[in-house]
Amino acid sequence: MEQRLANSLIMTVNEKKFIENALVSDIRVDGRRPFDYRNLTIRFGSEDGSSEVQLGKTQVLAFVTGQLVQPYRDRPNEGSFAIYTEFSPMADPSFEPGRPGDSAIELGRIVDRGLRESRAVDTESLCVIAGKLVWSIRIDLHIIDNGGNLVDAANIAALAALSTFRRPECTVGGEDGQELTIHPPDVREPLPLILHHFPVAVTFGFIGKENIVVIDPTHYEEEVMGGSLTATLNTNGDVCAIQKAGGDGVLQSVIMQCLRIASVKAGDITSKIKNAVESYNTQRSLRKIKRHNPSPAVSNVAKHHTERLVLGANEFNVGSQSNEHDTMNEISSTANGFSNRDPNSQSVDTDALRASQPSCATPLDKLNEESTQVNPETKSTQQSSDMNSSASTHEATDIGLQENQSNTLKDAVKPKHKRRKKSTSNVNAS
Amino acid sequence: MANQTLKLGGGLPQDGDAICVMKAGKLRFMKPNKYWVESSQKRYVPSAGDNVLGVVVDTKPENFLVDIKGPALAFLPVLSFEGGTRRNIPKFEVGTLLYVRVVSANTGMNPELTCMDANGKAAEYGVLKEGYMFESSTGLSRALLSSPPHPVLEGLGKKLSFEIAVGINGRFWVNASQSSTVILVGNAIQKSESLSLVQQKIYLEKLLKSIQ
Repeated sequence: MEQRLANSLIMTVNEKKFIENALVSDIRVDGRRPFDYRNLTIRFGSEDGSSEVQLGKTQVLAFVTGQLVQPYRDRPNEGSFAIYTEFSPMADPSFEPGRPGDSAIELGRIVDRGLRESRAVDTESLCVIAGKLVWSIRIDLHIIDNGGNLVDAANIAALAALSTFRRPECTVGGEDGQELTIHPPDVREPLPLILHHFPVAVTFGFIGKENIVVIDPTHYEEEVMGGSLTATLNTNGDVCAIQKAGGDGVLQSVIMQCLRIASVKAGDITSKIKNAVESYNTQRSLRKIKRHNPSPAVSNVAKHHTERLVLGANEFNVGSQSNEHDTMNEISSTANGFSNRDPNSQSVDTDALRASQPSCATPLDKLNEESTQVNPETKSTQQSSDMNSSASTHEATDIGLQENQSNTLKDAVKPKHKRRKKSTSNVNAS
Repeated sequence: MANQTLKLGGGLPQDGDAICVMKAGKLRFMKPNKYWVESSQKRYVPSAGDNVLGVVVDTKPENFLVDIKGPALAFLPVLSFEGGTRRNIPKFEVGTLLYVRVVSANTGMNPELTCMDANGKAAEYGVLKEGYMFESSTGLSRALLSSPPHPVLEGLGKKLSFEIAVGINGRFWVNASQSSTVILVGNAIQKSESLSLVQQKIYLEKLLKSIQ
């Protein structure tokens, strides 16, 4: 019995009375007014598609991952997405590990309904081969700290993670159009998901006999409230979903007022999410530019790096000289696809360039770092642009050089390079 | 240091000849020879003689079961009130806030409480009505009870009139005629925990200016 008591929040009668009395004079226990949100902080993790949201004391993590699966039979052209929630026991004494409880399932349903019914996530763009392979997106929500209003925080976390998620680019090729090539992130820039709009959830609590409305209830307010309403809206004024599960009855006029307030709050929150995502994207693309020996050629290349240009129809087959030709010319105008290339495969000519510029430090070591670092790539592009300006006829000799260089450099390479080779050998094999 | 007998308090076990530190916190010293480590946590370890704020969670024929933020629920005998007899047992509903004293607290057993002081008088113990209870850490509670008094508490006390009861178990209760005063005092004290002395004084000044 003591175990059971220890799991629930212990509220005093003083608190309940006080919260209701204070609301009559329009103030809440943490000093907010009834329609004020708590401080919202959105941060992103090191991987694409991971976000951390803090709303007052409530903390939620979201992770978005993608997998290629067979589509549903009745929807062969559409990808799918699913939401999994985990209420960590460290968030609240009443959360038990294991199967999700009712509130966890309800939270998952609200977030899912907001995204699915309103078609915020474009599922048709997730189709790779109709009827055979589509992308299945999985959103994992982890509740780290329960300070009240988990639904709103989880929704914002899911939206932020979806905005920064990148899936690998796939091309369908081969004779019958059925061969699939998945390009690793270092070969081709991964693509973001297409989000048509941002459905933002806004939760209201109804406290006391007069059903005073408060927005973004804290943990204590949630314990004393008689009912709650979650409205999911976007900035276009569309109501994507409404959830009111039991609790005290409210007047229709109150619901309409809540929806009006919710649309204003949704606008605020959407702009906050968008700003956070933008600064993350800028940081991400800045990480891909190495600030090194700024020369006019490089600054041009750098400008191109910040836009994400698709590499065009050229696929990179190993050892094909014609492609090398093309890629050499493309290097100066392409985006981040060239980092960490295997020196044994064609194009980038990192080896040749390295030979011509003995001053470079071993870019191969840097090749072993995260694929987002583009140090060697920028160097190679800088050098390649120089090369381009010098003469394009050198290509033939460069190729020959490359073969010799690659042998010697291969020997000099540290063992961890094998990892890189594996990933690119997948490309070669496909 | 000449041969001296040291009294080692919490967080300083003796390992043979060496003294080790087992808790994170400030090393405190009291003359003539007491050393201990003072740390601030959210959990409370009951010990005899502490004045704490408890919440009634259940009623039994012999005891009230009271939560004091410790590992186990504490027992408050129904007769431990001034002039308490079988005839006038107080009726506490679930959720009643009490200011009580810990009589005994042994590891593994439920702590025992009382609403009387050592002489059997009620003193200030008993039910706390109205007001609001705020959570804090044990360190903040100790700071609120220390002398010289906590700067924010003292400063607010000079300007506003309110009533406050501090439990060493990481809870404090504030009551005032206006809800806004209660909220102001409670939040100010909670926020001041992470500020240094100088920052506390600055925070207090800003707060008092905003009240006027």
